[in-house]
Amino acid sequence: MNLPKIDISSLPDLDTLTGVFGSLAHPVQALQSDDTLIVLMVFVYDTIKP
Amino acid sequence: MQIRPELQALRSNDALQRHAQRELKARVADWRAAAPVELAEDELARLAGGANLEDLPLLAAMFTSGDSTARQFVGGLVDSLCAGLAATPLGLVPLRHFTDDALASIMVARSGFATLSLQAFDGLAMARRPLPLSASFSPSCSWEAILAGSAPARLIHCRQIWPDHAELEVEPLQLRAGAAFARSNRTSALLLGRFEGCLVTLRMQCRKADGGVTREYRLDDGALLHQAAGTPRESRLELTAALLGRMGRTDAAPLLAAMAQEDGGSGLRWQALRECLGLDTAAGFRSLCAIARNPADPLAAPAEALCTQLRAAHPQLAEFEPCPA
Repeated sequence: MNLPKIDISSLPDLDTLTGVFGSLAHPVQALQSDDTLIVLMVFVYDTIKP
Repeated sequence: MQIRPELQALRSNDALQRHAQRELKARVADWRAAAPVELAEDELARLAGGANLEDLPLLAAMFTSGDSTARQFVGGLVDSLCAGLAATPLGLVPLRHFTDDALASIMVARSGFATLSLQAFDGLAMARRPLPLSASFSPSCSWEAILAGSAPARLIHCRQIWPDHAELEVEPLQLRAGAAFARSNRTSALLLGRFEGCLVTLRMQCRKADGGVTREYRLDDGALLHQAAGTPRESRLELTAALLGRMGRTDAAPLLAAMAQEDGGSGLRWQALRECLGLDTAAGFRSLCAIARNPADPLAAPAEALCTQLRAAHPQLAEFEPCPA
């Protein structure tokens, strides 16, 4: 059967979105109540060989 | 930019820095050899595995009011690290730590989802911060032993949850050295009030890997302000699913279809489903219909709505898989 290709941007999100772990609207009280902590690491790979 | 001579010297010769790190690592190793750290980690692993605190003698003693076990457990580490930092001020404590102007925290032991952290809150710096407007509730449990200082606090209880708000109740309490208490972070959040001096606590926290979410509610009216994944794993998987989608990895579609139907956070499952539909219409639509057909699934209603939407937009799909309207 020839099925259509679905464009992901046409697919709805849920009514309540879920942010990434540790995200808060008002982070001022973070860590008082909870040890939620995010470590973001950026890796830069050199793809050009010397 | 002003660079102090000590830092300038490190640019050409980092031997001092390496010496400082060796010194602090040796101090932590000495503490681990002297204190029952391995036993604490073993008990943390059992706690993360579902054991009751009463069956874990060392941790139970640490979080019993009036018991000095917690102070003794971390006291040796603090004394040794303070002496080490006094001798080598540029050294970096080789334990996971965090500090800002108000809170300093060191994770002293960890096993899986369970952690033991020493925390020091500075009352003056806390007073300079705006008062909290919200409280967040996460799928985890906490035990707290107050080691030094005292502070007024509020326990915010989440009594009942609706999709867009919650009923919150405030219980004032006074934290004092020697006290210990346990709470479920799913239903209660601790907010510190204004206090003088420093409040030092040992906190044990155990996260639940059950697909639960962290919800943040406004204190004034209980309105839902934000919802976030309850574990880093959920967010990692969601990012992975998005990456596979952007890379056009059609070979990952069966995996994404399976993720969409597994137990887990609704947010992660829905994103896996969307990516799967974008990569492989047949696999994605089959998974979507299976979710829509299961009334016990929290995603059944949005899945059914999406099924209807896709069948209307693409009549070929109506013949592909029977899907109840």
